[in-house]
Amino acid sequence: MRFSNLTPTGIASRLIDLLIGIVTLVAIGALWEYLVQNGHLNPYFFPPPTEIADELEKITTVGFPRGVTIFSHIQATVLRILKGYAMAAVLGIPIGLFVGSRQFLDRAVMPVVTFARSVATISLLPLMVAWFGVGELSRVLLVFYGCFWVIMTNSAFAVKTIHPQYIQAAETLGASKTQIFFQVMLPASLPRIFSGMKVALGLAFLYIVAVELINAEEGLGSLIWEARTFYRSDTMMVGLFMLSIFGFALAQGLDLLEKVLLPWAESLEEIER
Amino acid sequence: MRAETFGRDLWIGWLGVITVLVGWQVIDMLGIFDAATVPGPIDVIDLALERGPLDDLRTHAYASLRRVIIGFTMGAIPAILLGIATGWYRWLGKILWSPIELLRPIPPLAWIPFALIWFGLGENSKIFIILLTAFFPVITNTYKGMISIDPQLIRAAQTMGLKGLRLLWRVAIPAALPDIAVGMRIGLSLSFGALMAAEILAAEEGLGAMIWRARDTGGGVGIIVYGIILIGALNLTIDYLFNQYVLKRQLRWHFSEDAN
Repeated sequence: MRFSNLTPTGIASRLIDLLIGIVTLVAIGALWEYLVQNGHLNPYFFPPPTEIADELEKITTVGFPRGVTIFSHIQATVLRILKGYAMAAVLGIPIGLFVGSRQFLDRAVMPVVTFARSVATISLLPLMVAWFGVGELSRVLLVFYGCFWVIMTNSAFAVKTIHPQYIQAAETLGASKTQIFFQVMLPASLPRIFSGMKVALGLAFLYIVAVELINAEEGLGSLIWEARTFYRSDTMMVGLFMLSIFGFALAQGLDLLEKVLLPWAESLEEIER
Repeated sequence: MRAETFGRDLWIGWLGVITVLVGWQVIDMLGIFDAATVPGPIDVIDLALERGPLDDLRTHAYASLRRVIIGFTMGAIPAILLGIATGWYRWLGKILWSPIELLRPIPPLAWIPFALIWFGLGENSKIFIILLTAFFPVITNTYKGMISIDPQLIRAAQTMGLKGLRLLWRVAIPAALPDIAVGMRIGLSLSFGALMAAEILAAEEGLGAMIWRARDTGGGVGIIVYGIILIGALNLTIDYLFNQYVLKRQLRWHFSEDAN
């Protein structure tokens, strides 16, 4: 919706909006800096922008803890997300499609699935640690668990809510079962599957940070937690800043991907949720 | 007709639940896994009766629920007010949404270290985390609801002479209510997840603390499984109640078409 408005006045007004946003952020930063420099705010509680910028430079060159730069933290976090997420998508989409297309199975499975979804993913961490130790596996499995149910239920729902007329029309035109699946059912359910995957990626990001806070040596979450034990609030701020940029890029990237890959999804946006 | 399908659905659903429980018990009795690491449902019930005295459980559950309710209320109310204000007054939205967009992608849990610095180890740091968790989904949905009100609705009301705050109160806010409710539901459910992490990291009481400490207190995996199920049930109950009483009853006029 926001991108469809590409007339010259549309672009101009978007540029003005962007400018207002930047000015606001700069103003907040300046005020913050001023309040700290004049002793109204404690720099330990509220590390000022200049200090955060210095720290950002140090983390990219020297690293925190020494030798571990911000890039290796980001890499660790991204790899964990990707592993758990890929596993969830590879299993969740086919299982969801299968369950959704069998009415009896769907009804039998859904209460259990609903419960499994309501289980707070983080609360599984102690169990994962008891079963798989504190290593990488339990972290990835946690991300997997959090993503799986969202992807699976959305895929199942996608199949269930396909308009029966689409399928009937294809049948009338003499399409075979495989043709119906690949040319009607799959394209019709893709937007919904994609929206499930979008939600899941956001959740993966959220869970991995929680897991890294609680136990990990590398990763953005552990950077923040590590910094706390050394009373380095400026380093913590750098970590938060990185999470903000990272999360923003993730969301924007997915939106863009959806527009490019699934241009027919727009009309289905109404049935979101 | 509807009651009948509902009854049949329920029956099939129970079949699924029972199948899972029986399957779990059978795997346990086959003895592939050590009962201490993978306890069966009967073991869990036994352990729960034996090691989880109700008083203890009540303390933990009460601590968790209290945090969620206080934190959620403190996060949702400003979020709704700000969401409405930024959606109604465009200039305010333009100014305020850039800092909000900057903070929104940060997983609320990442603030825990700062929460500890700002508010100490006490109750307030956990409430702050819940507040943040609830704030962003609610404000985003409220804002979205406000800016996507059908313009014809506003114009019709203006034609009939409504303007200013009365227009906002009588037409715009009711039109945005469904979105606000959806945001609240998302926020509520996320709050629960966030609370568990906050309690694992820094709390003596609460369900999250209970399962994390189960390893130290010798309760073992059984207590962890018991706790996980309890947390899930609590989350499900709250979500169900919210869905029934807020979405279906209060906003019946909007959600009636997809009631089933």
